[in-house]
Amino acid sequence: METTRENTDSAVVLAPAGRLDFAAAAAFQDIIEKTIADAASAKLAVVIDCSGLDYLSSAGLRSFLIGARSAQTAGVKLKVCALQKSVAEVFDVSGFSRILPPLSDRAAALAAL
Amino acid sequence: MQTTLPGEESSLPQAMAFLHGCWESESLPEELLFPFELALEEVFMNVAMHGGRPEGPARVWLELEHSDGRLALSLSDDGPAFDPLAIPTPDLDAPLEERAVGGLGVHLVREMMAGVSYEYRDGRNVLHMWKTL
Repeated sequence: METTRENTDSAVVLAPAGRLDFAAAAAFQDIIEKTIADAASAKLAVVIDCSGLDYLSSAGLRSFLIGARSAQTAGVKLKVCALQKSVAEVFDVSGFSRILPPLSDRAAALAAL
Repeated sequence: MQTTLPGEESSLPQAMAFLHGCWESESLPEELLFPFELALEEVFMNVAMHGGRPEGPARVWLELEHSDGRLALSLSDDGPAFDPLAIPTPDLDAPLEERAVGGLGVHLVREMMAGVSYEYRDGRNVLHMWKTL
């Protein structure tokens, strides 16, 4: 899995692409935590744009959960957006949609900050 | 179709390759691949992380059966008897601070499959997961 990172005026946008499975989860978690730390010092929010994310398992959900906790502790706003159908289903049935309500696309996520 | 592989983390790509091979050779519906990939990862990783013995990893047998409008994946292993379906579902309404990830994998499998069953037979844990076509 590849994760690109770019800054807007208000947020650091992470865009994971590929499969967030057991093998990819630890590295993705490191990226989220580092990004949240950077965003906290730059007083920015974090948006995770999932439009390129094809696959998500419970190991990947764990990365999102730990990221959401880190963001809360650091006082950083965190939004997720643009979930593909199968990834959205995993978010829904795991109850993660209530913790991190997904937004339709990057523009909606940036507008919701 | 069936295959045998060691129940260890590094064998997950091999398990996925077996599944993808089944989809190709039987021209199975693309929209059913994701739920089976997810179910396979969750149950295989459970065996890899918790199902071994001190002398080494369990052996895992995978079988995909396609008949009578039903697609069924069974995963058997010769590790210690353990029923993953007995794992309680985590509280899905818990607030962020209290959310647990343990048990989420099995919950996802139940949600993504039409049915899941477990039995301990001939010294093997047998987990059967199916969807209708």
